[in-house]
Formats: sequence, structure tokens, C-alpha cells
Amino acid sequence: MTPEMFYLVIVDGLMAAIAAVGFAVISNPSRKAVLVSALLAAIGHSLRFFMIKSGLDITLASFVAASFIGFLSIFFAKIIHCPAEVFSYPSLLPMIPGLFAYRTILSMIKFMQSTEVVKTQGYMLDFFHNGMTALFILLALVVGVSLPVLFFPKLSFSVTRKY
Amino acid sequence: MNDSPVKNEPTIEQTAVLLIDIASALMSSGAHTMRIIQNVSRMAETFGYDLDLSVFQLSIMMTIINKDDPCKLLTQVKKIKPLHLNFTIVSELSALSWDTYDKHLPYDKIIPEFHKIISRKRISGWLVLLLVALANAAFCRLFKGDFMAMGLVFFATLAGFSVRQGMIKKQVNHLVTFTTSAFVASLLTGLGYVFHLGHTPEIAMASSVLYLIPGVPLINSFLDILQGHILTGIARLVNAFSLIVCIAIGLFCSMLILGLEKL
Repeated sequence: MTPEMFYLVIVDGLMAAIAAVGFAVISNPSRKAVLVSALLAAIGHSLRFFMIKSGLDITLASFVAASFIGFLSIFFAKIIHCPAEVFSYPSLLPMIPGLFAYRTILSMIKFMQSTEVVKTQGYMLDFFHNGMTALFILLALVVGVSLPVLFFPKLSFSVTRKY
Repeated sequence: MNDSPVKNEPTIEQTAVLLIDIASALMSSGAHTMRIIQNVSRMAETFGYDLDLSVFQLSIMMTIINKDDPCKLLTQVKKIKPLHLNFTIVSELSALSWDTYDKHLPYDKIIPEFHKIISRKRISGWLVLLLVALANAAFCRLFKGDFMAMGLVFFATLAGFSVRQGMIKKQVNHLVTFTTSAFVASLLTGLGYVFHLGHTPEIAMASSVLYLIPGVPLINSFLDILQGHILTGIARLVNAFSLIVCIAIGLFCSMLILGLEKL
């Protein structure tokens, strides 16, 4: 990894952490949980950023990052006695494919208003490409983060047990 | 006073009311179905009951059956309050259910504990507003927006989120609330396009409405479906998708007003 790349990854993680804190406080968690979700978001998002820069597909990278967040969150949940979803959900939010969703809507509007057949076909292509990417990233995130709950159901439901 | 342990045993009605209150508090705070069932059954077992629970979007149905005498049973239905995410409640009720199970907490001690948990104050609205605005600006940076775009998104989110908080307080329909606040936020960032502020106005526009994305219901819905609670999962999914459609409509309106599709 070059120093320049390292700098980009760090900035990416920092921004993801700020974003995660903001989205976490909407759901009113405890202070500790906010800190953990910032940490997990930073780790997850910079991991995904690094994977994308290394040439991995964005959907696959999201899946790997989300499952990494999921497994880490079970680990932290065990330490601070708090259900894992309290911090794994907010730390996923910075990875939500907002730009793809926006482009989907934009191409939909253009498709609706355009009268030239040739252009319409281009917009249709844009619509499906962006829409499918957004949908699959979303699926990858959700399935990735719920893997640990499916693999270790006993553990993930007993993290708030103190004895 | 009679201090015999038999006297302190709660009646079946008292137990049922407590358990269904806990289940509905968990549901309206944003727990997934499996967690609700696990938590409540654990507590029921401590009191010596078997429990069957069906969770729907708007109501919960619950039957508790005495383990020693299967003829003693009680069924209850309770409405669920509208979803207002509160993860403190989820984690503390979860901890309370384990405490009850491990320490055999008596009924008289659980009741005040439960009321303490559900009446705890939320994080102050102003702080949430500020943090959400900062978060959305950081989000804009993640999509490679420049500083101008970040500033625009910050102020647009401040406006949009305060509109949302105000409308939630006045109990306006949640679909209308989402549409309006998406409209306000995207209209303000759209000014970046109109006045050519910065080099990445389209990224500002795209990330200005992202604070509204219903991430928790969306993930909960998939988790429910993966764990076999398909009906609840689909209900949550439809709910989340209708909110996303509302966000899109808000964005759509401001784009049409500003004439952005021609750019």
C-alpha cells in the first residue's frame, strides 16, 4: 500500500465514522454503543474502500465488509453486554448505495420525459444498471450483517446475559 | 402482613399484561421478531408459563399457558405504537429478561424496572439534529463531493431534519413527513445547481436525502425473513419501501421544480 492510498483509506474511515455517529443517534442508543458503531463503520467502510480500489466488485466488497462488521459486532456485543444490532445497523448505513439510487430516479425521470426513441433506450439501460446495482448492494449488506446471527443464534441472543 | 411466597406470585392476568407490554415496547423500539419472542418467552418461563406469540405490524397476539395446569391460559391482543426507534430500550429490556431468568427476579421488582426503562429520556433533539447534519455532510464526502457540496448538504439536512422532527411531533402521517423533508432538503441543495456552486452539485443533491433512508426497518425485515418470520418481514419491507418511494417523490418534485432534468 502506498502512503497516498493509506491516507485515502484513513480519511474514508474517518468520514464513515462521523456518518455512523449521526445515523446512530437517531435510534437513541447508549453512549458506548455509539462509539462502537463509529469504530465498526470506520473499519468496515475503509475495508470496502480498499477492496474496491484493489479491483474487487462493489457488491462483493460490500458483502465482505458487511459480514466483517457483523462478526466484529458480536464480539463487541459480548464485551459491553448490548445486542449486536444496536451498533451493527448504524455502522452499515454509510455503505447504503445512495448515489446509485439517485441515478436510478434521475434516469427514470429522463425516460419518462424523453420523446426520442434512441435516447429512451439509453435511459432504460441506465435505469436498470443503477437500480440493479443499488438493489444488490443492499441485499449484500443485509445478508452479510445477518450471517453471524444465522451461524451463532445462541451466542447472539445471549450477549446481554451477565452471568 | 402476609409474607408467604405464594402471596407474592403474580396472577396470570398480571403476568400477561406485563409480558405483552414488554413485547409491544420492543416492537415499537425496533427490535426484530426473533429477539422479541426470545426475550418474552424467557421471562414467561421464569414465571412458570409457556408462551406463544404472533407479531404483526400493528398488533401482537399472545397466549400464556400455565406449565402445571394447561387449562389455565390467557390470550391477549395489543396494539403496537408507531415505530419510534429506541435501541436503549431494546438492549435494556433484553438485559432485564436475562436478569429475570438468571436471578429469578420477583414480579414486584420487574414492574418498576420496566417503567424506569421505558420512561428514560431520549438524547436531546438539538444534539441529534446537529450530529445528523454532520453525518450527512460526511456522507457527501464519502461519495467524493467537494467542500461546497458538503456545506450545502449540511445546511439542507439541518432544514430537512428539523422539518421532520417538527412533523413527527405534530403526528403528521409518516409518509407525508418523509416526502416533505426529502423535498425541503433536496430543494435547498438544488440551489447549488442553479447558482453553480462547487464542482459536484449532483453529489450534493443525491446525498442530501440519505439521512431519511429507513435503514433499521430494512435490515430488520430481511433478518425476519431469513429467520422464517416471513409475514412480519414482508410487512416491514413494504413499510420501508413505501418510505423510500416517498423520499424519491420528494426528490422528484424538487428536481422538476428546479428543472434539473435538462442539465
